[in-house]
Amino acid sequence: MPEATSVKPLKRAWTTSEPLVSVSDLKMWFPVASGILQRTVGHVHAVDGVDLEIKAGETVGLVGESGCGKSTLGRTVIRLLEPTGGKVTFKGEDITHIRGEHLRGLRREMAMIFQDPYASLDPRQTVGDIVGEPMDVHRLAKGKERQDRIRELLRVVGMNPRYVDRYPHEFSGGQRQRIGIARALAVEPTFIVCDEPISALDVSIQAQIINLLENLQSKFNLTYLFIAHDLSVVKHISSRVAVMYLGKIMEVAPGRQLYRRPRHPYTGSLLSAIPIPDPAIELRRERVILQGDVASPVNPPSGCRFRTRCPRAREHCAEEIPPLESFGDDHKAACFYPLD
Amino acid sequence: MTQPLLEVQDLRTVFTTKDGIVKAVDGVSFELLPGETLGIVGESGCGKSVTALSIMRLQRPGKILGGKVMFKGQDLTRVSEYEMREVRGKEIAMIFQDPMTSLNPVFRVGWQVAEPNRIHQGWDAKKAMTSAVSMLQRVGIPSAASRARDYPHQFSGGMRQRAMIAMGLTTTPQVLIADEPTTALDVTIQAQILDLLRTVNKDFGTATILITHNLGVVAGMCERVIVMYAGKIVEAGPTKDVFANPKHPYTWSLLKSIPRLDEDRHEPLKPIEGLPPSLVDLPSGCAFHPRCSFKVERCSRDVPALLRVGETQLAACWVTQAGTELKGA
Amino acid sequence: MIGQSRVAELEMPGAAVEGVSSRPAQSYWNESWERIRANRVGLAAGILILVFALIAIAAPLFSALLTHFLPQTIDLDVTFHPPGKPNWLGTDELGRDTLTRLIWGGRVTLGVAFLTVAISLTVGSYVGMLAGYYGKWVDDILMRLVDTVLAIPAIFLFILMSILFRPNPITLAIIIASVGWGGVARLVRGEVLSVKERDFILATRSIGARDFRLMLRHLLPNVLPVLIVSASLGVGQIILIEAALDFLGLGIQPPTPSWGNMLTNAESYFFHSFWLVIWPGIAIFATVLASNIFGNAIRDAFDPRLKS
Ligand SMILES: Nc1ncnc2c1ncn2[C@@H]1O[C@H](COP(=O)(O)OP(=O)(O)OP(=O)(O)O)[C@@H](O)[C@H]1O
Ligand SMILES: Nc1ncnc2c1ncn2[C@@H]1O[C@H](COP(=O)(O)OP(=O)(O)OP(=O)(O)O)[C@@H](O)[C@H]1O
Ligand SMILES: [Mg+2]
Ligand SMILES: [Mg+2]
Repeated sequence: MPEATSVKPLKRAWTTSEPLVSVSDLKMWFPVASGILQRTVGHVHAVDGVDLEIKAGETVGLVGESGCGKSTLGRTVIRLLEPTGGKVTFKGEDITHIRGEHLRGLRREMAMIFQDPYASLDPRQTVGDIVGEPMDVHRLAKGKERQDRIRELLRVVGMNPRYVDRYPHEFSGGQRQRIGIARALAVEPTFIVCDEPISALDVSIQAQIINLLENLQSKFNLTYLFIAHDLSVVKHISSRVAVMYLGKIMEVAPGRQLYRRPRHPYTGSLLSAIPIPDPAIELRRERVILQGDVASPVNPPSGCRFRTRCPRAREHCAEEIPPLESFGDDHKAACFYPLD
Repeated sequence: MTQPLLEVQDLRTVFTTKDGIVKAVDGVSFELLPGETLGIVGESGCGKSVTALSIMRLQRPGKILGGKVMFKGQDLTRVSEYEMREVRGKEIAMIFQDPMTSLNPVFRVGWQVAEPNRIHQGWDAKKAMTSAVSMLQRVGIPSAASRARDYPHQFSGGMRQRAMIAMGLTTTPQVLIADEPTTALDVTIQAQILDLLRTVNKDFGTATILITHNLGVVAGMCERVIVMYAGKIVEAGPTKDVFANPKHPYTWSLLKSIPRLDEDRHEPLKPIEGLPPSLVDLPSGCAFHPRCSFKVERCSRDVPALLRVGETQLAACWVTQAGTELKGA
Repeated sequence: MIGQSRVAELEMPGAAVEGVSSRPAQSYWNESWERIRANRVGLAAGILILVFALIAIAAPLFSALLTHFLPQTIDLDVTFHPPGKPNWLGTDELGRDTLTRLIWGGRVTLGVAFLTVAISLTVGSYVGMLAGYYGKWVDDILMRLVDTVLAIPAIFLFILMSILFRPNPITLAIIIASVGWGGVARLVRGEVLSVKERDFILATRSIGARDFRLMLRHLLPNVLPVLIVSASLGVGQIILIEAALDFLGLGIQPPTPSWGNMLTNAESYFFHSFWLVIWPGIAIFATVLASNIFGNAIRDAFDPRLKS
């Protein structure tokens, strides 16, 4: 086969201050088919014009409600999906439309961790096969070396290497998630998209996985795009947090700043909707309760996506799409009438 | 002291599976006061739902091995199935986690919301429907009269959960059991539903048992809280005391292990090591002891009882019962 | 390389140690096998099919050592001999030994059945896999093809084909399989469509695996249970089809014995030599029943939820 080169291609180091990953005006639309002839009657605007930069070594958190396009954005960024429009660059190279061997090469630099620890592992494979597969695919190791690496990866994620011959169904959710993380690490990636890696886990297990991910990051110098719908988790793990609504980024800022001084009304109401495990604080909190549901991504509202639920919406919001504007250091929001 | 409305005493429910006997609820006792909101927290599989279902006697295929559920002077574990049907849905209503599957897809929403009144009050379809529509309106369904003619799939998740709550409330029950009513919903929708439950509690005076695994939800909703672990209550007390000064290492570590929105510095979380035990094969002594950082020798030997620790709390822990404070790294 | 040093620091104690039972590794296949073994009736049915198959394979041996007849040996002195010695199951109108013919007939009938299943399964799963995996126009083309094949009246096809080729076991298997693969393709495509949506397929794509690996290593093992069930149910169906074709004279031609043509032949003598009908009848009945029981048993074994 063509990729059987004897020398492994050296991965390019990325030490400049340029972003590791950068996304501009990214669009990912899915056709909606209807009728007997399955004609395309419209598009789900899952990701609809996203700009985002991720620097090497940082964790960018991505929050938003179900269906707002977080997973789609994550998958498009690592090119599991081919974007409908816009541009993705990785280490300065345009990867928006690369294919074939070129794309396969990229797979050695990027990995993904999935939400559902039950669905994301092949039930017919042993733990060893699951963790070893990336090495087989990229011919990274064989035989004894492969075995050793599998054991080592399991140890790194806190699993007993004795379990290489076990099948996924014998493990709990948290343990399966560790196996998934070991698989992601097997290609020695620089960038990992974590798609809600803890949402399906027991409360007492979530912290174990969060800490593991943090440890791995500092050890292997990883860059994360960390997706979750729980803002408190995202704020904890991320250096910067992006808030997404109906396919668009509404606000990006360092977590603490986002919490202390949200500028976008959506961020404000999202923050006030998140319960804090402290009765004293909960009692005093002011609540902004959003009315209604998220609009349909097939026919998103004109102008600002959020205007249909926004307590501050005015006429202008329906006419023009607010651009992401800077509000001081590293803080951007897309709103004509921001909170102060 | 006010008379409790519902009193659960030493309730035990088991399931027989091929791996062995699952002690899903293992000696649970608590009381529910009129008009209060009582929280039950605990992680997945600790027996929260089975406790609720056993109160309603809907625990099948599980078996209630012992204990009492006293409600209005009768023991619900003993009354006939006929009498139990009178209680269910009329005096004690229950709403479930999954709003997607708990409504029947082939009937109109209004018809389903009206059902309890047709069954329990014997109202005719028209009268029941009128009251269903006004109830849908009260739970915040816009243009309720026309939406009542919709089928469940035409409702969003949040609206379905509102409809479930409306259905629970049509017969003005005295107790509402909400089993993870917001787990399947987005935070902004969760906030709407929790707000609704607060209003319901205030306006109707319905006593509520709120089951959740989200400590934040308990903090914002409940006057009192019960913490469950492996089928047992490990701690109980007024929410503000339990959160401020937990008396069981499980509660203590759980509170330390969750990231908080309002934390200011980035400190590593302190996870609870290990895994929740299998209910078929519980550790000896206190079920939490293998994961406990405060354990003493006795913990692996004897099962601690749920006893008063401090002014207002109950805890099942040898360490705190001996007067030791929980603190440290 | 990842994690040479500081491993201890990263290690999460408790989590690694417990929570997994200490019993030996149990694969999905092992567990299914245990469940089949627990199902006595299903297991007996499976054994019966296996025994029949072994007897069929060893037919020449039986002829030589046990019955001392050949299936085509005519002996006009002992026509219509009732069951007894030396013809344990009697003889037919030409004095041929029924037991010998039954054994050799089983060789043909079962051979045709297994071969047909093998062909339908291979072609069907290949087509179904491609259609389900690639979707879009590949799916459209292949599935229209399947629809077309399944829309041709089978009996018409059989008649046409057996006029064109003189049926021998191999052509007969090809003829029956030419219709049978369509159903398998549909089944496999349906399975692939659902398995394809599971996250582990995406996870495998995310590490850069090629389509071939995805289909062979991930999709195939996950549709295999369906294939096995359909194979064991298929054997029974095909025996019935084949018997019907033989009976209509479109299948295996005399003097080569098959269970189907033995029945046809015996029809005219039913009133004075009923055993000629009974034996092949029992053989067909028992095999088809066993194949259905066994098929259902493995379906339950693969998916214990289905049963409750
Ligand atoms: N392959 C697809 N084909 C068609 N529509 C899709 C596809 N994948 C996603 N969508 C749609 O795109 C939108 C965004 O989906 P996505 O999965 O990215 O949301 P999400 O933010 O990850 O939500 P969740 O929190 O539920 O995971 C949704 O409306 C979804 O239905
Ligand atoms: N039908 C059943 N058969 C066997 N075991 C059961 C059954 N239903 C529940 N159990 C067991 O009883 C235990 C308690 O289950 P329960 O549903 O009450 O948990 P829970 O606390 O509500 O968890 P969750 O947060 O996941 O809803 C679990 O260990 C579960 O495996
Ligand atoms: Mg998602
Ligand atoms: Mg539950």
